Amino acid sequence: MRTASDNKLAYLLMSPVLVYLLAVMVLPFGWALYLSFTNKVVGMPAVFTGLKNYAELVQDSLFWKAAWNTLIFTAAAVFFKTVFGMIMGLVLNENIIFRNLFRVLLFLPWTIPTIVSVFTWQWIYSDVGGVLNFLLLKLHLTDRPLGWLATPDLAMFSVILVNVWRGIPFMGIAILAGLQTISKDIYEAAMLDGAGAVKRFIHMTLPSVREVTIMAAVMTTIWTLNDFEIIWLLTRGGPSNGTQVLSTLSYTIGFLNMSLGKAIAIAIMTMPPLILLINYVTKRSLTSGD
Amino acid sequence: MEHKSTGRQILVYGTLAVMLVFALFPLYWMLNTSFKSQGEIYNLTPTFWPKDFGWEAYDKLITEKGFLGNVRNSLLVSLAVSVFSISVSMFAAYAISKLNFKGRSFISRGILYAYLMPRAVLFIPLYMLVSAIGVNNSVYGLMLIYPTITIPYATWMLISYFKSIPVEIEEAAMIDGCSRGRTLRSIIFPLAAPGLAATFIFSFTLCWSEYLYALVVVTKSADKTITLGLSEMIVGDVFAWGPLMGGSIIASIPVIIMYLFTSKYMVSGMTVGGVK
Repeated sequence: MRTASDNKLAYLLMSPVLVYLLAVMVLPFGWALYLSFTNKVVGMPAVFTGLKNYAELVQDSLFWKAAWNTLIFTAAAVFFKTVFGMIMGLVLNENIIFRNLFRVLLFLPWTIPTIVSVFTWQWIYSDVGGVLNFLLLKLHLTDRPLGWLATPDLAMFSVILVNVWRGIPFMGIAILAGLQTISKDIYEAAMLDGAGAVKRFIHMTLPSVREVTIMAAVMTTIWTLNDFEIIWLLTRGGPSNGTQVLSTLSYTIGFLNMSLGKAIAIAIMTMPPLILLINYVTKRSLTSGD
Repeated sequence: MEHKSTGRQILVYGTLAVMLVFALFPLYWMLNTSFKSQGEIYNLTPTFWPKDFGWEAYDKLITEKGFLGNVRNSLLVSLAVSVFSISVSMFAAYAISKLNFKGRSFISRGILYAYLMPRAVLFIPLYMLVSAIGVNNSVYGLMLIYPTITIPYATWMLISYFKSIPVEIEEAAMIDGCSRGRTLRSIIFPLAAPGLAATFIFSFTLCWSEYLYALVVVTKSADKTITLGLSEMIVGDVFAWGPLMGGSIIASIPVIIMYLFTSKYMVSGMTVGGVK
């Protein structure tokens, strides 16, 4: 039942939030969208240049390299976060001692500031006094120290590892929540029917956590696609653009080369896939929430 | 329950052990490094426990690097932004969850959109906004733009908390003659208090850990937050690992403590809507 007074009251209550979001998010975003069609440089007035920024980007091999790296980084990171998150959820769903303590401990990587995890890993990777090379040499897993951030492929592996380390707990806790809604009776019935562990996992566990897993994975994908801090702080997009992703390229072009218009154009070009993903989340959570 | 076979037990505890080592080793290494002396840190053979346990790194952090100033700025910004965000978001969230109005689904979709909109897309527009207003280069610039992160987040979280409060409670109060305002003040908000507290804490940690916006907005050293203070300890290729790890510990402790208090809200908070 909708009444006029409900309408008024609702908008009155929402007005601070709506005014703020309009003024500080929607309008600046619209302005930025306009500037992506100009040659805006820091400290200079903008001149409308149409699609020039976009045309230049499409022809720029560095842009495509960054797009490809973004894809690799995101796909690999999300895949491993989902797999290890599933394992974490399954282990924590077992009847183990100190379960709550272990849950909190395994969650810690997600709670600390990203920048802190980045520096800690950078120190672990370090070629002077770094503990990772020390351990690998000691265990004879390698015969010479590796430059974890020094070669393009290895650097890509290293930044993905940090992202995965941070991101597993989110997936794990979300999947655990899904697992805990499965009734124990069904399992017992299946066991009485003689279903083995693998069969039970594929036919009962997986389908019942499918929704949660997909939802959490899509949200993780949105965040991973736009990860800036880990890559920027570890490699600045290097070596030789081996870890250059769209977010770091946008920052480099905007704040080191001062070409704001072009930098915004990069961000705008990441929007279509992003909008698809965000739409997926909004549709899912709005229908299940109402 | 099923019979626990030994093989299964070994598998479960073995996996758990591997995961714990992977998750906790970097944290242990951070702590370990922060209590070592400069000389011991640069030793080519790393030590797994500080030989002379000491506060050299923390001392340097505070006397030379002025890290306490960074901590103060971060505290100030995170508190101000979280208080502001929660106090406006709770009214919006109440309206969206409990009132029937025109445009409701459009607005709740918009809030979720704003929550998921990545910083890598927004950092340049926001940088231009604070420059145009003239609050760039200061904590005020951050106070102006951090609510773009916290308001959508807090509103979205609180919508689900309010939804979990049965509408009958509210109706009963109103039949007893409570006005809408009084019902909100003395029934709804107190019932949602744990949710409000958890949302406040998460908002605080979002601001506390933020780096990209701070990087583009603040260049004046007196106004730098902890994330900027930490990243400044790297000069060229020279890493001051001791102070850097000490600062990392200081930056992590408040958020870890806050998470411990709210760990039971964590799941519902993170995957709002998704796991219902």
